[in-house]
Parts: sequence; C-alpha cells; structure tokens
Amino acid sequence: MPKPASDLLKAAALLAAALVCAGLANGWARPDRKLDWTGWAPQAVLPRATAVAPAPPQPPVPVAQAPQPAPPAAPAAPRPAAVAKAAKPAPPAAQPDPFAPSPQEVIREISSAAAWEAYQLKIPFLDARRSSDFEAGHVAGAWSVPIWETVAAARITEFEARANPAPQAPIAIYCSGGDCSDSRLLAKKLVELGYRNLLIYRDGFPDWARQGRPQASGARP
Amino acid sequence: MIRRLLHPWLTLRAQIALGAVFVAAALPKLGDPPGFAEAIWNYQLFPAWLIHPAALALPWLELLCGLALCLGVWTRAAAAWLAALLLVFMTALSINLARNHPVDCGCFGTAGSARSAVERVADMRWALLRDLGLLLLAAQVLAAGARRRQ
Repeated sequence: MPKPASDLLKAAALLAAALVCAGLANGWARPDRKLDWTGWAPQAVLPRATAVAPAPPQPPVPVAQAPQPAPPAAPAAPRPAAVAKAAKPAPPAAQPDPFAPSPQEVIREISSAAAWEAYQLKIPFLDARRSSDFEAGHVAGAWSVPIWETVAAARITEFEARANPAPQAPIAIYCSGGDCSDSRLLAKKLVELGYRNLLIYRDGFPDWARQGRPQASGARP
Repeated sequence: MIRRLLHPWLTLRAQIALGAVFVAAALPKLGDPPGFAEAIWNYQLFPAWLIHPAALALPWLELLCGLALCLGVWTRAAAAWLAALLLVFMTALSINLARNHPVDCGCFGTAGSARSAVERVADMRWALLRDLGLLLLAAQVLAAGARRRQ
C-alpha cells in the first residue's frame, strides 16, 4: 500500500527523470532545435506603438509593379533589373534621410514602402524567424538571426563581423508580420548590444512575398 | 454513485486516456524546444528565468507521466503531476482570455500558425474545456487511488 511520502518521492523522481532526459535530448539535438537552459527571454514585449514609422518621403518606388508570382525557390540573384534601376532614384536635394537615427526612437516600425526603400538603399535586413522559415524563403540578402534558437548569438556576431554595422546605422528587422513578435525581441537584443537605429518591418516577410520583391531560399544569405 | 465513479474499470480507462493524450501532446514539443519556449513566452505570464528550463523539461515530464499512466506504473504520482500541469495551463489560458491576449495554445505543437485573433480566442476556449475534461480524468485516477488506500 503506497504512502503519501512514497508518492512524493515518485513525483520527484519523475521530475528528475524529465530533467535528465531533457538534458540528454538537448545535447544531441540539431543546432536549430537546441535551446540554452538559461537563455535570453525578455519579460515583456515592447508595446506595438513604440514608434510609428515616420512617413517616408514618397520616392518613385516601383511598389505598384505587378506582383510577380513569387517563385518560392527564387535564385539568390543580387537584384533584379527593375530593382537595380529603382535603386538609383533621384532624391530631392533637401529631403531628410528617413532612416536617420532618432535618439527618441531607437526602435521604429516601418511600413512596407519604407522597407522597400531601405532595401534599395542597401540597409541590412535581419530575419528573426526560425531557421526553417528562413530556409523556405527570405528577403534576398537577409541575415538569419533566429531569435529563439541557440545559434542566434553566433549569428549576431557573424553579422557584426561581416557587415560591420555602426551603432547608429539603420538595420531593418522582420519576421512573419501580423502579431509576430520575433523582430521586436531581436531589436531589443540589438539595443542591448548598443545599436540605436532599428527599423522593424511591420508587415514582415508575407508582405514582402506578396509584393513580389526579391527573395531567396536556402540556409545562408 | 461514488462507488461507480471510482470503479477500477473506469479508473483503468481514465488513466490510459489521460496518459495517451499527454504522450501525444508531448511528442511534437520534444522535437522543437525553441518553438515551445516561444509559445510559453507568448503567454506573457512566466518569469524569464523559467521559460527555457520549462520548454526543455515540460514535454519530457508530460511524456514520462503519460507513459506511467498508460503502463499503470506510479499512477498517483503521474496523475498528480498532470493535474498540477493542467491547473497551470488552465490558469494561463484563463488569464490571457480575460485580458484579451490571444495566444497559440502550444498544447499539441509549437508552430504558431497564421491565425486571426478571433480564431485563437476560440481555440483557447476549446483548450480550456479540454483541459477541464482532462482534469476530471486526473481527479478520477487520484480519487480512486485514495479510495484504494483506505
């Protein structure tokens, strides 16, 4: 006949066994399925209205072009011709830089049109979604920093080493749009690392694909 | 009436059903701890230090307790764990429903699909009802064990 004390011991044994199994499984897991025991997980999301995107000056951006069928496995071509042309708009002389750092708003949301403009200005794009989502399709040339995976820290280091961004330089971040919060988490992480001009592409990759903008697939940018 | 409710025939089926549900719930989460950590974080209820350990250990606890119930080993301890987990799940869902914060349940998987807030709220209500049913099964197993002890 079992006693309550023995039930308690059994419950403790079940918990201990779960911890041991979790440790072993995590040790053997693929890199994109690993999770640190003491990871970085911010307690609260920044409110959605941290900063509304500054209305970008309306450049002659060809967003109105007919959306392409958006092939899922588009080759990682640097830029299509249409983009290359659009990358050289003749900016009005006295127009302020819409992506200039703002001390009050280190994290800003940007609209779809502003994201396109940022892309044309060769502002780096960071993809905060999971590795598997990135591999399925991403903004051409974007860096994968899956904020929930253990590899995120190494990817940030790699981005810093290869892109060498200045703290005040604009960095665009996106995830899946809608109520996806991964890009906000990554932005918060980058603020901790000293970056002060983070642009969150509010509508994220679904919008990018819908607009028929340059995409790539595969593990690396 | 009580005697019928706590009949060994019913207890056996309750513990197998409860165990099978938790084994099924644990398997998708075991394979993707980062996804489950995100699901837990989305509830916006748990302290930051708890999220990663919970995402790693909770699916294994669910699996081991589920297996124990299916195999009839350490049934009271396993049912007690699952009842405690169900209470936590129900509290978390209720708080987020009350404050109108739609979340993906994360009960039987980790992938947050592109669903609308209305769909998420509807799913949360169903999950709450399902958890209540599972809690009744766990209560049956625990009560039957206590009765046997008397």
